[in-house]
Amino acid sequence: MNQAVGNGSDLLQRRGIVLLPVSRGFVTVAASTIALLGACLLFAPSSVSSGALAGSLPFAAVIAIVGLGQLLVVQQGGFDLSVAGGVSLAVVIAAHFPDGDNARLLPAVLLAVSCALAAGLANGILVGFVQLNAIIATIGVNALLYGAVFAVSGGVPRITTPLLAEIAGGRTFGIPHSVYFAVAALLAVSFILKKTVAGRRFEAIGANPLAARAAGLHVRLYQMAAYVCSQLLCCLAGILLAGITREPTAFQGDSLLLPSVAVVVLGSTSLLGGRGFPVSTVIAAFFLNQLSQFALAIGVPYSAQTIIQALALGFGIGVYSVEWTKNTRRRVKS
Amino acid sequence: MKVSLNMKLSGAAAAAILGISTSAALADTPSWCGPKKATLALLDGFGGNSWRQVTIAAGKQEAEKCPSITKYEYADGQGNTQKAISDIKGFAAKGTDALVVFGDAGPAVLPALTSAYKAGKVVVPYRVVVGGKDGETYTKFVGASFKDDGVSWGNWIKSILPNGGNLLFLSGPAGNSQGLDELAGMKSVLDDKYKFVNPAPFDVTNWDPALTQQVLTAEIAKNPKIDVIVSDFGPSLVGALAEFKKFNRSVPALATSDGNSLGCFWTNNHKDNPDFKLFTVATGNDNVRLAVQWAVASATGGTPPSETVFKAPTFEDSVSGKPSPVQCRPDLPGAIYLSSGVSADDQAKAVSK
Repeated sequence: MNQAVGNGSDLLQRRGIVLLPVSRGFVTVAASTIALLGACLLFAPSSVSSGALAGSLPFAAVIAIVGLGQLLVVQQGGFDLSVAGGVSLAVVIAAHFPDGDNARLLPAVLLAVSCALAAGLANGILVGFVQLNAIIATIGVNALLYGAVFAVSGGVPRITTPLLAEIAGGRTFGIPHSVYFAVAALLAVSFILKKTVAGRRFEAIGANPLAARAAGLHVRLYQMAAYVCSQLLCCLAGILLAGITREPTAFQGDSLLLPSVAVVVLGSTSLLGGRGFPVSTVIAAFFLNQLSQFALAIGVPYSAQTIIQALALGFGIGVYSVEWTKNTRRRVKS
Repeated sequence: MKVSLNMKLSGAAAAAILGISTSAALADTPSWCGPKKATLALLDGFGGNSWRQVTIAAGKQEAEKCPSITKYEYADGQGNTQKAISDIKGFAAKGTDALVVFGDAGPAVLPALTSAYKAGKVVVPYRVVVGGKDGETYTKFVGASFKDDGVSWGNWIKSILPNGGNLLFLSGPAGNSQGLDELAGMKSVLDDKYKFVNPAPFDVTNWDPALTQQVLTAEIAKNPKIDVIVSDFGPSLVGALAEFKKFNRSVPALATSDGNSLGCFWTNNHKDNPDFKLFTVATGNDNVRLAVQWAVASATGGTPPSETVFKAPTFEDSVSGKPSPVQCRPDLPGAIYLSSGVSADDQAKAVSK
């Protein structure tokens, strides 16, 4: 699919049609988001009021962060299904160990980060070095992570420390703090992917691991790094979520697994691996979140809310998955 | 080091509470406790929240009142229907005499319950309707009267808003019978002057604090006037109520079920929020006690209780102070329920493991 996109844009460039260095995915997701915002203004203006945005943007930021982690893994042709466990573990560690005591927040955060490193390494070794199927390996690690969630919390929620609530849930210049974290994560991922040697190699390996190995690159190491980074981003998302929701449950990560994959796909990154689109992924996270706010705000029954979201997702994915130019050509030939 | 020690301790505490308990010779044996020796298991469909932890503790306390119960066990279905079914079958197969089952998965667990009952076990599903019939598919179903909760909320809403107003009703997963019953209860006392601003029948929150927060944000933005919020799980609202501040609006009146974190939230915030009145019904941890009594009576040959439906009493009312003013124990975890028959300190132990 990636190649097809490349061929298509080459063709267009040869005809002198597209000169801007933006991907089709970016244009589509940005246009869809603008269209959605237009629809919000027309049909559900309350969903774009400042209060509503202040309330919903933190959740978009969390989806964006886990989406960026998933993006890195998908770029290597894998899947990280331990997102749910990783986020939940970070949530319970950030809420349970400090137990309301601000002074113990930093050790708790460090502990959460070390757990994320361990989980990421486990995923990375199983997939990169032992060559297990990514889906199987990460489901296994997810089960281990949930074991840890129960060991820490017993499944019981606890109220977050006031400091974390302020750091993750507060606002500066009217913008929720979690949005700054998401932007920082986006800048870091984009810079490393697009502007560093390691990042360029990372994408090359994702596009064609065999060729990369022949060229002498450490394919397995880079594949492992993808899983480690994914878990670290899950950890960040979990800590933020613990602050945003004040009394998080022990299973807060469960509802993030599907969105994490959805935003990667909506952001036009191929599930077969290769080139990644971090900016599109983050815009897709905003799109997905705003879509559910829109569905809530127009006040339709729950069943209809779910259908609206599914249709929009199906539409978004359809735009990339169908090779429109080829189809047209075939039709012309026949 | 402290951290790893904590983890070990929490593991040990978990083993202690879930494990065998043989409490000997209690002075007063209740009438539902017969002479025949029996073993009892409490099978949860989903045990992963503080409400369930307190409920487990309540069930254990109740079983300990009967010396004829030689073993009390617990299994958590972890929200997985397959596991819940295999728990029921597994405990029946290994010879446990009485099963008290929280059938979260609803009718999906009925075949397993029926086969355990047909194999001669005492089977008491409680709180969640699983279908089937007493004496045919299980021994006795011990329900909870959610409709009565709705009636209690409705009457309180009428007392604070005699001229009608806008109500927002939040419940758990889509179509859950608890929310529908509560709505029926409210509608039985509230007329057309009271308008529900949420999509019918209720806003879906899955009782998840994150989703509750998102739903409430959308509703606050959409509805300039919300007079009362009704929610059947008050504590999941605590984080979400802060959203009103983002809109520079007072938290409105709240009719819900109790929880320590909610009581403390009211105590800390009602002065800044002039419209914030609070009314709670007991959150119903003691429902399990009635179910345990039925199971023990049937398994040990005791006298079954007269009641088959648990009615949650009203608990706090910030307006009248009856039956109790709003309660807050800031020294104890937020995730305990002061309405429960399990003492606050024992609950703190149950949820802090």
